[in-house]
Amino acid sequence: MTQEHIAMVVDEIRLTLDELTTSCTISREWVAEHVQAGVLEVDPLADAALWRFSGRDLLRVRRLWELELTFDANPELAGLVVDLCDELARLRTRLRRAGLNTD
Amino acid sequence: MEFKDYYQILGVEREATAEEIKKAFRKLARKYHPDVSKEPDAEHRMQELNEANAVLSDPEKRIAYDQLKAGHHAGQEFQPPPNWDAGFEFSGHGGPGSQAEFSDFFSELFSRTGQQGAAHGRTSGRQRGEDHHAKVLLELVDVYRGTSRKLTLQMPAVDPQGRVKLVEHVLDVRIPKGVREGQLIRLAGQGGAAADDGGTPGDLYLEVHFQAHARYRIEGLDVYASLPVAPWEAMLGASVNAPLPDGTVEVRIPEGSQAGRKLRLRGRGIPAAQAGDLYLVLEIVLPAASSDRARELYQTMARELAFNPRQALES
Repeated sequence: MTQEHIAMVVDEIRLTLDELTTSCTISREWVAEHVQAGVLEVDPLADAALWRFSGRDLLRVRRLWELELTFDANPELAGLVVDLCDELARLRTRLRRAGLNTD
Repeated sequence: MEFKDYYQILGVEREATAEEIKKAFRKLARKYHPDVSKEPDAEHRMQELNEANAVLSDPEKRIAYDQLKAGHHAGQEFQPPPNWDAGFEFSGHGGPGSQAEFSDFFSELFSRTGQQGAAHGRTSGRQRGEDHHAKVLLELVDVYRGTSRKLTLQMPAVDPQGRVKLVEHVLDVRIPKGVREGQLIRLAGQGGAAADDGGTPGDLYLEVHFQAHARYRIEGLDVYASLPVAPWEAMLGASVNAPLPDGTVEVRIPEGSQAGRKLRLRGRGIPAAQAGDLYLVLEIVLPAASSDRARELYQTMARELAFNPRQALES
Protein backbone atom coordinates (compact mmCIF):
# COMPACT_ATOMS: atom_id res chain seq x y z
CA MET A 1 0.00 0.00 0.00
CA THR A 2 1.39 3.42 -0.95
CA GLN A 3 1.78 6.18 1.58
CA GLU A 4 -0.93 8.84 1.65
CA HIS A 5 0.38 12.40 1.64
CA ILE A 6 -1.48 15.08 3.55
CA ALA A 7 -2.08 18.28 1.59
CA MET A 8 -1.96 21.58 3.49
CA VAL A 9 -3.90 24.66 2.37
CA VAL A 10 -1.27 27.35 1.76
CA ASP A 11 -3.60 30.14 2.93
CA GLU A 12 -3.69 28.49 6.35
CA ILE A 13 0.06 28.03 6.71
CA ARG A 14 1.20 31.18 4.77
CA LEU A 15 4.62 31.31 3.15
CA THR A 16 7.73 33.11 4.35
CA LEU A 17 9.86 35.16 1.95
CA ASP A 18 12.36 32.29 1.74
CA GLU A 19 9.64 29.76 0.97
CA LEU A 20 8.19 32.00 -1.73
CA THR A 21 11.55 32.70 -3.39
CA THR A 22 12.57 29.04 -3.26
CA SER A 23 9.26 27.85 -4.65
CA CYS A 24 9.27 30.31 -7.55
CA THR A 25 13.06 30.24 -8.11
CA ILE A 26 13.27 34.01 -7.83
CA SER A 27 15.46 36.27 -5.74
CA ARG A 28 14.59 38.14 -2.55
CA GLU A 29 15.48 41.34 -4.41
CA TRP A 30 12.86 40.56 -7.08
CA VAL A 31 10.20 40.19 -4.40
CA ALA A 32 11.33 43.35 -2.58
CA GLU A 33 11.18 45.32 -5.84
CA HIS A 34 7.61 44.16 -6.45
CA VAL A 35 6.55 44.89 -2.88
CA GLN A 36 7.95 48.42 -3.22
CA ALA A 37 6.10 48.79 -6.55
CA GLY A 38 2.86 47.84 -4.79
CA VAL A 39 2.11 44.81 -6.95
CA LEU A 40 2.58 42.34 -4.08
CA GLU A 41 0.43 43.10 -1.11
CA VAL A 42 2.59 43.02 1.98
CA ASP A 43 3.65 45.97 4.10
CA PRO A 44 6.72 47.49 2.39
CA LEU A 45 7.76 49.15 5.65
CA ALA A 46 7.71 45.92 7.67
CA ASP A 47 10.79 43.76 8.15
CA ALA A 48 11.01 41.33 5.21
CA ALA A 49 11.44 38.49 7.69
CA LEU A 50 7.86 39.16 8.83
CA TRP A 51 6.33 39.13 5.36
CA ARG A 52 3.84 36.31 4.84
CA PHE A 53 2.39 35.29 1.50
CA SER A 54 -0.84 33.54 0.53
CA GLY A 55 -1.37 30.93 -2.15
CA ARG A 56 -2.84 33.68 -4.32
CA ASP A 57 0.40 35.68 -3.88
CA LEU A 58 2.42 32.70 -5.07
CA LEU A 59 0.28 32.29 -8.18
CA ARG A 60 0.52 36.04 -8.76
CA VAL A 61 4.31 35.94 -8.55
CA ARG A 62 4.45 33.20 -11.19
CA ARG A 63 2.24 35.20 -13.54
CA LEU A 64 4.12 38.48 -12.97
CA TRP A 65 7.44 36.77 -13.61
CA GLU A 66 6.19 35.19 -16.82
CA LEU A 67 4.76 38.48 -18.13
CA GLU A 68 7.91 40.40 -17.34
CA LEU A 69 10.08 37.79 -19.02
CA THR A 70 7.86 37.47 -22.10
CA PHE A 71 7.20 41.15 -22.76
CA ASP A 72 10.04 42.89 -20.90
CA ALA A 73 7.30 44.49 -18.82
CA ASN A 74 8.14 46.50 -15.72
CA PRO A 75 6.54 45.41 -12.40
CA GLU A 76 3.79 48.04 -12.54
CA LEU A 77 2.71 47.10 -16.06
CA ALA A 78 2.84 43.37 -15.30
CA GLY A 79 0.80 44.03 -12.13
CA LEU A 80 -1.79 45.94 -14.18
CA VAL A 81 -2.07 43.08 -16.70
CA VAL A 82 -2.49 40.50 -13.92
CA ASP A 83 -5.17 42.66 -12.27
CA LEU A 84 -7.00 43.04 -15.59
CA CYS A 85 -6.81 39.29 -16.24
CA ASP A 86 -8.22 38.64 -12.75
CA GLU A 87 -11.04 41.09 -13.42
CA LEU A 88 -11.68 39.41 -16.78
CA ALA A 89 -11.87 36.01 -15.07
CA ARG A 90 -14.24 37.39 -12.43
CA LEU A 91 -16.57 38.89 -15.05
CA ARG A 92 -16.49 35.70 -17.16
CA THR A 93 -17.48 33.73 -14.07
CA ARG A 94 -20.42 36.07 -13.53
CA LEU A 95 -21.47 35.65 -17.17
CA ARG A 96 -21.33 31.87 -16.84
CA ARG A 97 -23.40 32.02 -13.65
CA ALA A 98 -25.97 34.11 -15.48
CA GLY A 99 -26.06 31.49 -18.24
CA LEU A 100 -24.51 33.84 -20.81
CA ASN A 101 -21.83 33.08 -23.38
CA THR A 102 -18.35 34.32 -22.42
CA ASP A 103 -17.12 34.77 -26.02
CA MET B 1 10.09 11.34 -29.44
CA GLU B 2 9.31 13.75 -32.28
CA PHE B 3 11.70 16.39 -33.53
CA LYS B 4 10.47 19.92 -32.85
CA ASP B 5 11.14 22.71 -35.31
CA TYR B 6 11.44 25.74 -33.04
CA TYR B 7 11.81 28.10 -36.00
CA GLN B 8 8.52 26.84 -37.43
CA ILE B 9 6.81 27.21 -34.03
CA LEU B 10 7.85 30.87 -33.83
CA GLY B 11 7.24 31.43 -37.56
CA VAL B 12 10.72 32.82 -38.21
CA GLU B 13 13.44 32.05 -40.73
CA ARG B 14 16.48 30.02 -39.81
CA GLU B 15 18.58 33.19 -40.21
CA ALA B 16 16.32 35.35 -38.00
CA THR B 17 18.09 37.84 -35.77
CA ALA B 18 17.69 37.83 -32.00
CA GLU B 19 15.47 40.90 -32.31
CA GLU B 20 13.23 39.19 -34.92
CA ILE B 21 12.91 36.14 -32.67
CA LYS B 22 11.99 38.32 -29.71
CA LYS B 23 9.35 40.17 -31.77
CA ALA B 24 7.85 36.97 -33.17
CA PHE B 25 7.71 35.42 -29.70
CA ARG B 26 5.99 38.43 -28.15
CA LYS B 27 3.47 38.69 -30.97
CA LEU B 28 2.49 35.01 -30.65
CA ALA B 29 2.67 35.11 -26.83
CA ARG B 30 0.08 37.88 -26.90
CA LYS B 31 -2.11 35.86 -29.28
CA TYR B 32 -1.93 32.63 -27.29
CA HIS B 33 -1.73 33.97 -23.74
CA PRO B 34 -4.08 31.61 -21.87
CA ASP B 35 -5.72 34.43 -19.91
CA VAL B 36 -7.05 36.18 -23.01
CA SER B 37 -6.80 33.84 -25.98
CA LYS B 38 -9.92 32.23 -27.41
CA GLU B 39 -7.90 29.61 -29.27
CA PRO B 40 -8.88 26.14 -28.00
CA ASP B 41 -5.26 24.96 -27.67
CA ALA B 42 -3.87 28.24 -26.32
CA GLU B 43 -2.22 26.72 -23.25
CA HIS B 44 -0.41 24.08 -25.29
CA ARG B 45 0.65 26.63 -27.91
CA MET B 46 1.97 28.92 -25.19
CA GLN B 47 4.06 26.10 -23.76
CA GLU B 48 5.49 25.41 -27.23
CA LEU B 49 6.26 29.09 -27.71
CA ASN B 50 7.99 29.35 -24.34
CA GLU B 51 10.06 26.31 -25.15
CA ALA B 52 11.00 27.52 -28.63
CA ASN B 53 11.90 30.93 -27.23
CA ALA B 54 13.96 29.42 -24.42
CA VAL B 55 16.13 27.73 -27.04
CA LEU B 56 16.28 30.30 -29.83
CA SER B 57 16.75 33.33 -27.57
CA ASP B 58 19.70 31.68 -25.83
CA PRO B 59 22.80 31.89 -28.08
CA GLU B 60 24.40 28.73 -26.65
CA LYS B 61 21.28 26.63 -26.98
CA ARG B 62 20.48 28.04 -30.41
CA ILE B 63 23.90 27.12 -31.86
CA ALA B 64 23.66 23.60 -30.43
CA TYR B 65 20.08 23.22 -31.71
CA ASP B 66 21.04 24.49 -35.18
CA GLN B 67 23.74 21.84 -35.43
CA LEU B 68 21.25 19.16 -34.51
CA LYS B 69 18.52 20.52 -36.76
CA ALA B 70 20.43 19.86 -39.98
CA GLY B 71 18.75 16.84 -41.55
CA HIS B 72 15.70 16.84 -39.27
CA HIS B 73 12.22 18.20 -39.75
CA ALA B 74 9.20 18.78 -37.52
CA GLY B 75 7.34 15.63 -36.43
CA GLN B 76 10.13 13.29 -37.49
CA GLU B 77 10.96 10.46 -35.05
CA PHE B 78 14.11 11.56 -33.29
CA GLN B 79 16.77 10.44 -30.85
CA PRO B 80 19.73 12.74 -30.16
CA PRO B 81 23.09 11.24 -31.20
CA PRO B 82 25.42 10.31 -28.32
CA ASN B 83 27.38 13.29 -27.01
CA TRP B 84 25.64 15.57 -29.50
CA ASP B 85 26.15 18.46 -27.08
CA ALA B 86 29.84 17.92 -26.36
CA GLY B 87 31.53 21.27 -26.16
CA PHE B 88 28.44 23.25 -25.16
CA GLU B 89 27.68 24.64 -21.71
CA PHE B 90 24.04 25.56 -21.17
CA SER B 91 23.14 27.97 -18.40
CA GLY B 92 19.64 27.89 -16.95
CA HIS B 93 17.83 31.14 -16.22
CA GLY B 94 15.72 29.88 -13.32
CA GLY B 95 12.34 31.39 -12.69
CA PRO B 96 9.01 29.71 -12.08
CA GLY B 97 7.97 26.92 -14.40
CA SER B 98 11.16 27.21 -16.39
CA GLN B 99 11.62 23.58 -17.36
CA ALA B 100 9.03 21.41 -15.72
CA GLU B 101 6.47 22.48 -18.33
CA PHE B 102 8.65 21.81 -21.37
CA SER B 103 8.44 18.78 -23.66
CA ASP B 104 10.39 15.54 -23.58
CA PHE B 105 12.23 16.84 -26.61
CA PHE B 106 13.51 19.89 -24.72
CA SER B 107 14.27 17.90 -21.58
CA GLU B 108 16.24 15.35 -23.56
CA LEU B 109 18.36 18.01 -25.20
CA PHE B 110 18.90 20.75 -22.69
CA SER B 111 18.21 19.63 -19.13
CA ARG B 112 21.18 18.53 -17.15
CA THR B 113 21.93 17.85 -13.53
CA GLY B 114 23.10 20.89 -11.66
CA GLN B 115 21.34 23.26 -13.98
CA GLN B 116 18.18 23.51 -11.96
CA GLY B 117 17.43 26.33 -9.56
CA ALA B 118 19.86 28.81 -11.00
CA ALA B 119 18.04 31.82 -9.58
CA HIS B 120 19.81 34.85 -8.24
CA GLY B 121 20.16 35.20 -4.52
CA ARG B 122 19.37 31.60 -3.61
CA THR B 123 20.26 30.54 -0.12
CA SER B 124 23.55 28.72 0.15
CA GLY B 125 24.11 25.29 1.65
CA ARG B 126 22.92 21.95 0.39
CA GLN B 127 20.77 22.28 -2.66
CA ARG B 128 17.08 21.67 -2.14
CA GLY B 129 14.98 20.07 -4.86
CA GLU B 130 12.79 22.27 -7.02
CA ASP B 131 9.22 22.93 -6.01
CA HIS B 132 6.77 21.68 -8.62
CA HIS B 133 3.44 23.21 -9.54
CA ALA B 134 0.34 21.58 -11.03
CA LYS B 135 -3.45 21.88 -11.09
CA VAL B 136 -6.00 19.49 -9.64
CA LEU B 137 -9.71 19.24 -10.54
CA LEU B 138 -12.03 18.37 -7.66
CA GLU B 139 -15.69 17.41 -7.46
CA LEU B 140 -17.84 19.47 -5.11
CA VAL B 141 -18.49 16.41 -2.98
CA ASP B 142 -14.71 16.13 -2.44
CA VAL B 143 -14.72 19.63 -1.00
CA TYR B 144 -17.47 18.75 1.48
CA ARG B 145 -15.96 15.53 2.71
CA GLY B 146 -12.27 15.87 1.97
CA THR B 147 -10.97 13.20 -0.33
CA SER B 148 -8.13 10.88 -1.14
CA ARG B 149 -6.98 11.19 -4.72
CA LYS B 150 -4.45 9.33 -6.77
CA LEU B 151 -2.58 11.93 -8.79
CA THR B 152 -0.46 11.16 -11.82
CA LEU B 153 1.94 13.94 -12.71
CA GLN B 154 4.74 14.34 -15.24
CA MET B 155 7.86 15.34 -13.35
CA PRO B 156 11.48 15.89 -14.33
CA ALA B 157 13.88 13.29 -12.91
CA VAL B 158 17.56 12.68 -13.45
CA ASP B 159 18.50 9.52 -15.36
CA PRO B 160 21.77 7.57 -14.88
CA GLN B 161 23.42 9.64 -17.63
CA GLY B 162 22.72 12.80 -15.68
CA ARG B 163 20.01 14.05 -18.00
CA VAL B 164 16.63 15.26 -16.87
CA LYS B 165 13.68 13.33 -18.29
CA LEU B 166 9.98 13.57 -17.69
CA VAL B 167 8.73 10.59 -15.70
CA GLU B 168 5.33 9.69 -14.29
CA HIS B 169 4.98 10.38 -10.59
CA VAL B 170 1.97 8.73 -8.94
CA LEU B 171 1.03 9.67 -5.41
CA ASP B 172 -1.93 9.30 -3.08
CA VAL B 173 -3.01 12.64 -1.69
CA ARG B 174 -5.35 13.44 1.18
CA ILE B 175 -7.08 16.70 0.27
CA PRO B 176 -8.56 18.52 3.26
CA LYS B 177 -12.25 19.36 3.27
CA GLY B 178 -13.25 22.96 2.78
CA VAL B 179 -10.63 23.80 0.18
CA ARG B 180 -11.79 26.59 -2.14
CA GLU B 181 -11.58 27.32 -5.87
CA GLY B 182 -8.23 28.88 -6.75
CA GLN B 183 -6.56 27.96 -3.47
CA LEU B 184 -3.14 26.36 -3.36
CA ILE B 185 -2.42 23.22 -1.42
CA ARG B 186 1.09 22.05 -0.58
CA LEU B 187 2.49 18.54 -0.36
CA ALA B 188 5.74 18.78 1.55
CA GLY B 189 8.64 16.86 0.03
CA GLN B 190 6.76 15.72 -3.09
CA GLY B 191 8.45 18.09 -5.55
CA GLY B 192 11.79 17.57 -7.30
CA ALA B 193 14.52 15.43 -5.76
CA ALA B 194 17.49 17.19 -4.18
CA ALA B 195 20.57 17.62 -6.34
CA ASP B 196 22.79 15.98 -3.74
CA ASP B 197 22.31 13.24 -1.16
CA GLY B 198 22.11 15.54 1.86
CA GLY B 199 19.59 17.97 0.35
CA THR B 200 15.87 17.92 0.93
CA PRO B 201 13.31 17.37 -1.84
CA GLY B 202 11.17 20.25 -3.00
CA ASP B 203 7.45 20.62 -2.36
CA LEU B 204 4.53 20.05 -4.71
CA TYR B 205 1.97 22.84 -5.01
CA LEU B 206 -1.45 22.08 -6.45
CA GLU B 207 -3.84 24.81 -7.62
CA VAL B 208 -7.38 23.70 -6.88
CA HIS B 209 -10.13 23.98 -9.45
CA PHE B 210 -13.66 22.61 -9.30
CA GLN B 211 -15.27 20.58 -12.04
CA ALA B 212 -18.24 22.38 -13.53
CA HIS B 213 -21.51 20.95 -12.23
CA ALA B 214 -24.91 21.23 -13.90
CA ARG B 215 -26.77 21.74 -10.62
CA TYR B 216 -24.37 23.54 -8.31
CA ARG B 217 -22.55 26.82 -8.59
CA ILE B 218 -20.16 28.20 -6.02
CA GLU B 219 -19.63 31.79 -4.95
CA GLY B 220 -16.86 32.01 -2.39
CA LEU B 221 -18.03 29.79 0.45
CA ASP B 222 -21.69 29.83 -0.60
CA VAL B 223 -23.20 27.15 -2.80
CA TYR B 224 -26.26 27.62 -5.00
CA ALA B 225 -28.38 24.69 -6.19
CA SER B 226 -31.62 24.54 -8.10
CA LEU B 227 -34.52 22.71 -6.45
CA PRO B 228 -37.27 21.57 -8.83
CA VAL B 229 -40.76 21.73 -7.26
CA ALA B 230 -44.29 21.09 -8.51
CA PRO B 231 -46.66 24.10 -8.82
CA TRP B 232 -48.82 22.87 -5.93
CA GLU B 233 -45.73 22.36 -3.71
CA ALA B 234 -44.76 25.98 -4.40
CA MET B 235 -48.23 27.45 -3.87
CA LEU B 236 -49.54 25.27 -1.05
CA GLY B 237 -46.25 24.66 0.75
CA ALA B 238 -44.66 21.24 1.22
CA SER B 239 -41.81 19.35 2.80
CA VAL B 240 -39.53 17.88 0.14
CA ASN B 241 -36.24 16.00 0.12
CA ALA B 242 -33.43 18.03 -1.45
CA PRO B 243 -30.27 16.19 -2.51
CA LEU B 244 -27.15 18.13 -1.41
CA PRO B 245 -23.45 17.46 -2.08
CA ASP B 246 -23.08 15.83 1.35
CA GLY B 247 -26.43 14.00 1.54
CA THR B 248 -30.15 14.67 1.44
CA VAL B 249 -31.96 17.18 3.61
CA GLU B 250 -35.68 17.73 4.17
CA VAL B 251 -36.68 21.32 3.48
CA ARG B 252 -39.93 23.15 3.98
CA ILE B 253 -41.17 25.01 0.90
CA PRO B 254 -43.04 28.06 2.19
CA GLU B 255 -46.60 28.52 0.98
CA GLY B 256 -46.94 30.96 -1.91
CA SER B 257 -43.39 30.55 -3.26
CA GLN B 258 -42.62 31.70 -6.80
CA ALA B 259 -39.90 30.43 -9.12
CA GLY B 260 -36.47 31.84 -8.23
CA ARG B 261 -37.17 32.08 -4.50
CA LYS B 262 -34.03 31.28 -2.53
CA LEU B 263 -34.18 29.12 0.56
CA ARG B 264 -31.08 29.48 2.73
CA LEU B 265 -29.59 26.54 4.60
CA ARG B 266 -27.25 28.24 7.02
CA GLY B 267 -23.79 26.64 7.33
CA ARG B 268 -24.44 24.01 4.62
CA GLY B 269 -22.15 25.68 2.05
CA ILE B 270 -18.41 25.00 1.75
CA PRO B 271 -17.13 23.74 5.12
CA ALA B 272 -14.81 26.17 6.91
CA ALA B 273 -14.29 27.70 10.34
CA GLN B 274 -17.18 29.93 9.31
CA ALA B 275 -18.91 27.67 6.82
CA GLY B 276 -20.73 29.16 3.87
CA ASP B 277 -24.47 28.89 3.29
CA LEU B 278 -26.30 26.75 0.77
CA TYR B 279 -29.06 28.39 -1.24
CA LEU B 280 -31.78 26.30 -2.85
CA VAL B 281 -33.27 28.21 -5.78
CA LEU B 282 -36.81 27.09 -6.51
CA GLU B 283 -37.51 26.00 -10.05
CA ILE B 284 -41.19 25.32 -10.73
CA VAL B 285 -41.65 22.38 -13.08
CA LEU B 286 -45.02 22.01 -14.81
CA PRO B 287 -46.53 18.58 -15.38
CA ALA B 288 -47.18 17.85 -19.05
CA ALA B 289 -50.79 17.96 -20.27
CA SER B 290 -50.28 14.51 -21.69
CA SER B 291 -53.56 12.87 -20.68
CA ASP B 292 -57.20 13.82 -20.89
CA ARG B 293 -57.35 14.21 -17.12
CA ALA B 294 -54.29 16.50 -17.05
CA ARG B 295 -55.73 18.67 -19.83
CA GLU B 296 -59.00 18.85 -17.95
CA LEU B 297 -57.23 20.05 -14.79
CA TYR B 298 -55.35 22.76 -16.73
CA GLN B 299 -58.63 23.84 -18.39
CA THR B 300 -60.29 24.07 -14.97
CA MET B 301 -57.45 26.28 -13.70
CA ALA B 302 -57.63 28.47 -16.81
CA ARG B 303 -61.37 28.89 -16.38
CA GLU B 304 -61.59 29.36 -12.62
CA LEU B 305 -58.36 31.14 -11.57
CA ALA B 306 -58.65 34.14 -13.92
CA PHE B 307 -54.87 34.37 -13.82
CA ASN B 308 -52.96 36.81 -16.04
CA PRO B 309 -49.19 36.19 -15.76
CA ARG B 310 -48.51 39.36 -17.85
CA GLN B 311 -50.44 41.73 -15.68
CA ALA B 312 -47.31 43.50 -14.48
CA LEU B 313 -46.32 44.21 -18.13
CA GLU B 314 -49.59 45.94 -18.85
CA SER B 315 -49.56 48.41 -15.99
